[in-house]
Amino acid sequence: MLLPFFEWMGGLRLSAFFLESIWPTPIIQNIHLMAVAVFAGSVLVVDIRMLGRGLRETPLAQLARSVEPWLIGSFVVLVISGIPQMTSTALKQYYSPFFWWKMQAVLIGVIWTVTVRRRIAMRPEAELGPVLPKVVAVVSIALWTSVTIGARLIGLMG
Amino acid sequence: MIRSLFEWVDVLPTSIAWRESLNGYPLLLTAHVVSMGLVAGIIIFWDMRLAGIALKWVPVSKAKAGLFPWMTVGAVINVVTGVVMVFSQPMRYYPNFWFWLKMGMLAVVVVNAAYFHLSIENTVEEWENDPVAPFKARMAGYVSLAFWAGIIVTGRMTAYSGLVPQWWIDLGLG
Repeated sequence: MLLPFFEWMGGLRLSAFFLESIWPTPIIQNIHLMAVAVFAGSVLVVDIRMLGRGLRETPLAQLARSVEPWLIGSFVVLVISGIPQMTSTALKQYYSPFFWWKMQAVLIGVIWTVTVRRRIAMRPEAELGPVLPKVVAVVSIALWTSVTIGARLIGLMG
Repeated sequence: MIRSLFEWVDVLPTSIAWRESLNGYPLLLTAHVVSMGLVAGIIIFWDMRLAGIALKWVPVSKAKAGLFPWMTVGAVINVVTGVVMVFSQPMRYYPNFWFWLKMGMLAVVVVNAAYFHLSIENTVEEWENDPVAPFKARMAGYVSLAFWAGIIVTGRMTAYSGLVPQWWIDLGLG
């Protein structure tokens, strides 16, 4: 169903630009990977805190709020730097099971982060009990780890 | 000398076994990238605390106590997977410009961290609650941020062994 859309992406001038020149692809990959590090840090600092470890002496809500600009900012960079990488290899992505794995995990990860995880992190901790935040954090770590694994395997396994 | 070490590793049965394993390299590289998220991600926030960019309200000693164990876990997985990758394909990495540049940058962050912990940090009690740390501590944070960015970039560029300066090719290491 989506094949025509991927064929259209592959035919874009943007895709041709990335395929025909040498440096744009590695440059955009590096920007993407640096954003991965910032995004991973933004996720983990709060998730580890929700596990009751890490920066455990800091209030969870305050920590989550102060990290949020980095979380959102790095995600925006990830999406923008991801687009040309996707369009310039559109058919490879379309036929890669790992691409679909990654994108499904991204979708669920975003929904989880902006709904359940955000609501839990911002609530007064005394109301949460010991188990709920830990479950939320484990799901978050699992989702974003599977995004990273899927992403790496697109390149390695096709 | 380094070349003979790499050549020696290259013919070790364990090295050959890793090299010929179908899933060895994908497994190692994937674990390397995932643990990079842990070690670099956490270090970035520690560095940003020192540089006065983020988490400015967290006391420095608390940031260290909370972040360092996790950073260490990531670093151990990162180093082990990295070493095994080089061990499994030594003659792929030996002539690689980006690989050696990355090793040089790793040396810089190690020296920078050692200088911070052995010298700058001695007075941490005096300034650990300040949102913006003293100049030297901020510099240690900025140097680490810059070189960690470089480590990530040169690590990714290892795959582009042909995109290197001409003088490096002229060395004829391959």
